[in-house]
Amino acid sequence: MIVAELKPFEEIKNMLKDYKKVMVLGCGTCVTVCMSGGERQVELLASSLRMAGKLEGKDIIAGEKTILRQCDPEFIDQIKDEASRYDAVLSMACGAGVQGIAERLEGLTVLPAMNTTFIGLSDGQGKWFEVCAACGDCILDKTGGICPVARCAKKLITGPCGGSRGGMCEVSKDNPCAWQLIYGRLGKAKLSDVLKVVTRPKARPVSPRRMVREDLRVKKEPAKGVK
Amino acid sequence: MPPCQSACPIRTDVRGYVSAIARADVEDAIRIICEVNPLPSVCGRICTRLCEKACRRAQVDKPVSIRALKRFAADQTKNHHLSKKPQNLFNERIAVVGGGPAGLTAAHDLALLGYKVTIYEARKVLGGLLSEGIPEYRLPKELVKKDIDNILSLGIEKKTGLSLGKDFTLEGLLKDYQAVFLAVGSQKSLLPKCDGSGLSGVLPGFEFLKWVCRGETPDLGKKVLVIGGGHTAIDAARTCIRLGCSDVSIVYRRTLDEMPAGHEEVEEAEKEGIKMIYLTSPVEFIGEGKVRSVKFVKMKLGEPDASGRRRPAPVENSEFELEADTVILAIGYVPDVQVLMHDGLNISKKGTVIVKDDTGITNMKGVFAAGDVVTGPQSVIEAMASGRRAAEAIHLYFRGEPEKGRATVEQLRALDERVAQLINKSKRQEMPTLPVDSRIDNFAEVDLGYTQEQACREAMRCLSCGAGASVDETCAACLNCVRICPFGVPVPGREIAEIDISQCQSCGICASECPASAINLEKTGQEDLRAELEQVVDSARQEEPDTLIIGFYCRYDSPLGPPLDEDDVYWLGRYCTGNLKESQILYPFELGVEGVVLHVCTIEACRFRDGARWMAEHIKRAKKILSETGIGEDRLCLLSGDEDFAQFRKRLDAMGVNPLRTGKKVKS
Repeated sequence: MIVAELKPFEEIKNMLKDYKKVMVLGCGTCVTVCMSGGERQVELLASSLRMAGKLEGKDIIAGEKTILRQCDPEFIDQIKDEASRYDAVLSMACGAGVQGIAERLEGLTVLPAMNTTFIGLSDGQGKWFEVCAACGDCILDKTGGICPVARCAKKLITGPCGGSRGGMCEVSKDNPCAWQLIYGRLGKAKLSDVLKVVTRPKARPVSPRRMVREDLRVKKEPAKGVK
Repeated sequence: MPPCQSACPIRTDVRGYVSAIARADVEDAIRIICEVNPLPSVCGRICTRLCEKACRRAQVDKPVSIRALKRFAADQTKNHHLSKKPQNLFNERIAVVGGGPAGLTAAHDLALLGYKVTIYEARKVLGGLLSEGIPEYRLPKELVKKDIDNILSLGIEKKTGLSLGKDFTLEGLLKDYQAVFLAVGSQKSLLPKCDGSGLSGVLPGFEFLKWVCRGETPDLGKKVLVIGGGHTAIDAARTCIRLGCSDVSIVYRRTLDEMPAGHEEVEEAEKEGIKMIYLTSPVEFIGEGKVRSVKFVKMKLGEPDASGRRRPAPVENSEFELEADTVILAIGYVPDVQVLMHDGLNISKKGTVIVKDDTGITNMKGVFAAGDVVTGPQSVIEAMASGRRAAEAIHLYFRGEPEKGRATVEQLRALDERVAQLINKSKRQEMPTLPVDSRIDNFAEVDLGYTQEQACREAMRCLSCGAGASVDETCAACLNCVRICPFGVPVPGREIAEIDISQCQSCGICASECPASAINLEKTGQEDLRAELEQVVDSARQEEPDTLIIGFYCRYDSPLGPPLDEDDVYWLGRYCTGNLKESQILYPFELGVEGVVLHVCTIEACRFRDGARWMAEHIKRAKKILSETGIGEDRLCLLSGDEDFAQFRKRLDAMGVNPLRTGKKVKS
């Protein structure tokens, strides 16, 4: 899941200072699950904007809307007409969603309400942590299912740096050392031999990455009998 | 459907009226009751309350005192039927023979359906055993009259003092009426098969009660033995005490546990000085012309019989004699069907009218029967239900409209033991009663009815079964509800979270925390609050207060209404304040109010365990937003007592009006 958090209110307010009619647009998938950009947060942010605007003598019209996913054009089309009646769309989706909206609703000002933080896991109620860097060359088979690219501060894929103390990272002391975790997990599973295999350096992907699946791109043939 | 409602033979929306009483809206409560029940004052006193037997509160402590709440609603209101207007839709005339609960209910329903109805009653008053049978101290006759007058006000004609077989016949009725509904009840006392039951001083129980209801006072002497274990036995014994008999005993062949009368009734009888003699059965009534004593035999209980109760059998050589001036026999009744047989109706071996099914169709065209005359003695509420079904059948008979398929009722499961254990216990409110000294020499009503406070508190014991949370398709399966439910009810489903409606306690905490607003609660009405707030603020504005404050309080904490009486505070009661969302706490500010207060819970243990914690959490988040937007977090306050309010008020005054109201720019 993609985890995102709301930008500071002041920043959002500044972003919107030249707009009067704003559609606050939630996303019903990842950011709803991480409780930062779903319907309930839309309601709160819209209310905050109206109140803050009024305090500055501006009658802000903050519409409230949430669609299932802002990263798919078909869902965005559901709000196309409605969105066109606003001066700006404040997207509460991750960065992908914001761009999806901007792409699809060309001509409209689309602004981000969130900072997209990471691809992560839930760690119980109200807690998430980063686990995947989307590097494009997965080595989790060799690391006991713990990703050093995402979870090691130095992104080392060849082994620990030697700087960890008491199992904690020397760079960010609140985080466990990823390599310590990897050794622990592999040891428990009696798979330490896996570490003897040399991990080749990863190819650095050229951004932006694209994925084209020809197998899925079968052209539609007209149904029989239809001219 | 909640278990109480599905257990009720007339499917009263118990949860609905109990919750209306909880919010002190008795008018709504009686409206809900009268939707299906034309005899609320009666049923509020003497119903056998199958609802309470089904109440799931019993798994936690004791069932909700539903009957007492119904009585409260009926006692506190007048003109129960004002909302209902019969329409004269049809020309068919219907004769109802018998003015007891079954006949009255059928007449009521048929009148509302649009028929012209006449009730024929052999006695001088309508009501059957309600008017002449159940003693005044348990069911005051003026209240029976109140319910009956309400029914008659639907335009029903009554012809009293006319009995079937003597003054009219079924055939004769069928000439003037297009249908006859027969509900003559079951009033012939059964007599035990032993010698001497013909002696003077041996009285049939039902007749005895009837005489007393009519104001006759038979000479009973001092010592009375009442034989039987049902309501009539207890009623007869307690009546004898009130008539001055000094030594009254009830003799029953089984034990207290098998008694058809309720434990509470037996308790009250014992308080009044009545002796209970269990496992004893009469063998012979002894006397010369008049009864002098009764020979009894001791009994022991064997295997259960057809009624599910253990069958009593005599113990050898255990005979003994008890002296008696009067013996009252209350061992059962059968319908008096001689006349009906004569009129051509098919009668069963048991001595009841044979009907096709619960529609009450008999072998005579146009004649329907229901109530005790068909089933033998049953409870008032069951008789009412059978009257209702017969009324539906009569309507169908005339109109030929397809019978509404009886909707299959979805039963709520019992509470899981795990959930039941997490629910706070709450003491059942005791019914206030007349002190024994002031009741045994008169017929004043013994039960006094709940006070407003008792009714409110008792109503709040209702677990609102089946009115809990439901998850809609916008659920993002974040599983937050699964993690925070104080009762551990939600579970991850295949696609969305699933909440078992039979276990949900309707606290609403999950709904307030759902990021997708995908959880809806019947009980807390999350969506209506905005509209309610707008209305409150609008009407408050009419009074032009300088400072307008909205207050939220927990109804469970403060059942009698707002916890503080302060000018300018407009209170809204919630079933737990833990389920108030931040947006709901903030909305009043958007509407321009100066301040919002939430009253802190003073009860030791939150009804929903975690309510106070979530309220504090939501206040914290709302304060953050108030501070970020520049409105000021000090305008929101968690009140813990009078003193706090004074301080808050001072602070508010210093802050001045809500800048959102004036539109003035605030200084940063």
